[in-house]
Amino acid sequence: MSAGVHPKSPALSPQFDPDLRAVTPKTALQRFFSETGTWILILDIALFVAFGFLSQDFVFWSKLNVESLMINGTEALLLALGLAMLLGAGAFDLSVGSNLVLSSVLGALTIKSIAGPADAQGNYAHLGLAIALGVLVCLVTGVIYGIVNGVLVAYFEINSLIATLGTMGVGTGLALVVTGGGDVTVLPTQLQSGFGLASLFFVPYPAILALVAAFVLWAVLRYTRYGVRTLAIGSERTSAERAGIDVKLHLTSLAALAGGLAGLAGFVDIARYGSTAQAGHVQDPLVAITAVVIGGTLIEGGKVSIVGVIWGTALAVILQTGLIIIGAQSFYQLIAVGVVLIIAVGLDSYRVRRTRDR
Amino acid sequence: MAGSFVPSEMNHDGPHHSPSPEVAIAGHHIAKRFGHVQALSDANVTVRSGQVVALFGDNGAGKSTFLKTLIGMIRPDAGEFIVADRPVSFSTIRDAQNAGVECVHQDLALAPDLSVVDNMFLGNERMQRGFLGKLGVLNRHEMTERTDQALRELSIKLPSLRVQVSALSGGQKQALAVARAAMWGHTAILMDEPTAALGARQSEIVCDLMRAIAERGLGVLVVSHDLPRVLKVADRVTILWRGTTALEAASSDLTIPDIVATMVGSGKDSAA
Repeated sequence: MSAGVHPKSPALSPQFDPDLRAVTPKTALQRFFSETGTWILILDIALFVAFGFLSQDFVFWSKLNVESLMINGTEALLLALGLAMLLGAGAFDLSVGSNLVLSSVLGALTIKSIAGPADAQGNYAHLGLAIALGVLVCLVTGVIYGIVNGVLVAYFEINSLIATLGTMGVGTGLALVVTGGGDVTVLPTQLQSGFGLASLFFVPYPAILALVAAFVLWAVLRYTRYGVRTLAIGSERTSAERAGIDVKLHLTSLAALAGGLAGLAGFVDIARYGSTAQAGHVQDPLVAITAVVIGGTLIEGGKVSIVGVIWGTALAVILQTGLIIIGAQSFYQLIAVGVVLIIAVGLDSYRVRRTRDR
Repeated sequence: MAGSFVPSEMNHDGPHHSPSPEVAIAGHHIAKRFGHVQALSDANVTVRSGQVVALFGDNGAGKSTFLKTLIGMIRPDAGEFIVADRPVSFSTIRDAQNAGVECVHQDLALAPDLSVVDNMFLGNERMQRGFLGKLGVLNRHEMTERTDQALRELSIKLPSLRVQVSALSGGQKQALAVARAAMWGHTAILMDEPTAALGARQSEIVCDLMRAIAERGLGVLVVSHDLPRVLKVADRVTILWRGTTALEAASSDLTIPDIVATMVGSGKDSAA
């Protein structure tokens, strides 16, 4: 453009404001207390204190019980993390528990067949290789399971609730077919002593693994392109598409990530029990969804709170274990977790309504 | 610069680009049929660099279809496109973006849960140098500075660049979408009904933005129903009638009654 002012040039004042309405960002403290996760943390602490006083000889506060709480939370946290990432992009996954089971079954069979029979001292000929391949099989199974989910949802455009409800049935069934209906038992005890039941100070190894995974995902969401794009897809999918993002591929990669975490949880499961526990994971999706949603992650997508997922998982686990320790019958945990989920989703949709009406 | 287009991010050093091409963007003899509907039959629009061109037309005249063919969202059955004086053929929005053509869609294509900065760079994120960049870590410092600069160049003032877009007003969102297009586009900016959702004062501001972008040497094409306001900022006017260009003239030669008459078809004989 040559110099000279166009006859229609506006008189732009340097400070003009498209709208006088001021939007002031919140301070750090305001943000802290406006986070749902903060309130869940407070509730966690309150419940932890209360169950301690209610339990006989304060056994709820014992080192053993704290360790047990953490190991109970580990698998739920791994599943919840994957689910949180998917929800961030607006997709759901009901099949995480069945993915865990299928991965654990295939991993356990791999370990058993490669390790061979134990000698008199309980040693195996190829233990290291067996465990390495077992971990690999768990992860690969989980990732493939996730990719199947992702392709169904992203490319075949099947609603993610329905698609993963379907694969949940298929996965659970496949695990039973492979094992002939029973569990894979008597795995090398070194799995438990070396990883599943081992702790650093009083933090179990598997819990450390899950917390590292949580930290990595927190950083991914906050600082990376992958995280921004995940939230953009959940926030407004067409906007993400128009920005040139390959939304289908991204959704599939998220499903693969959630699947990989479920596979990892599958390995934790066999390392902890020394066998598979196919019947023990029916409640997993309920617990994982509860943990994610009460932590402040929006089901509508666009907002994920990884810290909230941790406190949410803790709440579910404290409730479950606490009720058992104070002597309530185990059925009550189901009711408690279900009620907490409904309250959480109710608050969530109330929050969304309030934001929209503003 | 002949032969291939420099990616827009490398070409953005402020308002003074390399010498502007004569024609920023043009479509000649564009035709498109959807089933039984001939949406476009002979649409001709030329936007020269530094000009604001208003594209008027009644509902169903083919304005939006024409805009979509320009950015590669729809492939026309016939016709040719010129961008920066060169014939082009886009098959995706990305192709158009690579040629420096950006579109401000009517729905703005913003992600409400992301910050202003992240929206400005959505799909074009800046990475850290070295290892962190390979891990996909964003360079938010650079992104924030460039967002600040881009908004400043258009005299747009937002309360904060870190605030979520959902917290902005309608006018602020529109200004943001325009600023984003202006930051990435270096040849032409297309706008689909940019004032449709806005109040009077905010509409004036968006019209001023069109002018400011044209002053930088870009071509601006505006599809609008807001005749009086857009006519005030436009240099030239093109009117589509049933998929055909019915009139092309300098805005100073036209009155609103002329335009309305052509839009509804009664001025057709004098215009062909």
